[in-house]
Amino acid sequence: MVAIQTNLPTHVSHAKSSSMTDKIDHTQLSAWLKEVADARCKIAFTHLFKFFAPKIQRIARSKFPNEAQSHEVVQDTMSNVWRKAHLFDSDKGAATTWVYTIMRNVTFDILRKIKSNREDNLSDDIWPIAESAAAEEQPYEDHLENKQLLRVIEALPETQQEVVKGFYLMEMSQEQLANHLNLPLGTIKSRLRLALAKLKVHLGEDND
Amino acid sequence: MIKHHPKFELLEAFVNGDLPASLSIAITIHADMCPLCQQKILQLTEQVAEQSFEEDVISLDNLDNLDSSSHFDISIDDDLESDALFDSMISNITFSEDVAEVVKPTDKSVTFKDKTYVLPTVLSNIGFGKTANVGKLSRSRLQLNEDEIHTNLLHINAGGGVPAHTHKGFELTVLLDGSFTDHEGEYNKGDFIMLDGTFTHTPVSENGCLCYTVANDALHFTQGINKLLNPIGSFIY
Ligand SMILES: [Zn+2]
Repeated sequence: MVAIQTNLPTHVSHAKSSSMTDKIDHTQLSAWLKEVADARCKIAFTHLFKFFAPKIQRIARSKFPNEAQSHEVVQDTMSNVWRKAHLFDSDKGAATTWVYTIMRNVTFDILRKIKSNREDNLSDDIWPIAESAAAEEQPYEDHLENKQLLRVIEALPETQQEVVKGFYLMEMSQEQLANHLNLPLGTIKSRLRLALAKLKVHLGEDND
Repeated sequence: MIKHHPKFELLEAFVNGDLPASLSIAITIHADMCPLCQQKILQLTEQVAEQSFEEDVISLDNLDNLDSSSHFDISIDDDLESDALFDSMISNITFSEDVAEVVKPTDKSVTFKDKTYVLPTVLSNIGFGKTANVGKLSRSRLQLNEDEIHTNLLHINAGGGVPAHTHKGFELTVLLDGSFTDHEGEYNKGDFIMLDGTFTHTPVSENGCLCYTVANDALHFTQGINKLLNPIGSFIY
């Protein structure tokens, strides 16, 4: 565990000594994180926990009505601090910024789970915690396909199909279509309108 | 050259984690291309972090002195309860020797018509709906599940455009590739364009473009024959 100090936060008192808010001892926080990273030091972690956890809980309480959820934020944030300490780089920023990022990300994912019912944990993609040195290949799956609209169009009555295909796929104007199909413009418009209503229902269902 | 940036309030909400995923992603995409906003976000994060963690007056370390040092109305029972809770959290967390591996996601690519684009990394783990094509427009919806907020990749083929339209809500466009113009001027790769509901515009793309779009209401087409398109306004955004 080496001889790095594991004292309680030293209350560095700067000029404004009357204030109740203490200046944060960034050097100390960074040193504890390094001990957790290098030696899995539980004492250093306990110091970090006692510094951050009550603050995280208070912040979380302002975002969640439910106390269990604010505990979840504390638990998940500090668990990430324990498991990701080796990713902290004191040259890149303060320990407070790093822990804040983890807390904000944990909070974001829990809120998203509640509001959108999604457990996709997007936060680390939106706000990456650390650049990874070894980027592993992940299987790539392309969800994009072009065929769906065509399938829906082909389910339309013949007369509507030719209008829709001409208008959207061949990008003809309604006037051009009227000439091409030798039909009154009004007929083209009403067929298009009918077809659009059906397309809307189909695509709306499948895409929303 | 990027000319359009998210305004300060939006960056602030982003840093606080208060924006929906759709808008947070939009800012990440922009900031990856915009060193200016990236710098602002870094500074804001530092400031917010400092404020978040310095305000605390009573920590567990001085719980013993609570009576004398506190003139806030905080229940001692609550704190003692969380003291025990915190102790058990500490032992639970440190019980595991696991270290988190960070896997950098592999960038996805998409093909619209015959053009293939590599997507921003932030989109790597998001599912997409199938592509719908309307004339020179193609769009694919992101599966973010944010109720009335719809997020899409919108591709405009060379020479295509979106007919004149307004919104009741907002419409955000981040240009991922290519350029388009409207009556305000030209927009280029990286531009972050937020319009509110009072705005009418007619973007046209001479050479084609790919956009990331977020809107909280269907488009409403405003002119002549394009009114016919209103039923499909919700496809595009
Ligand atoms: Zn910018």
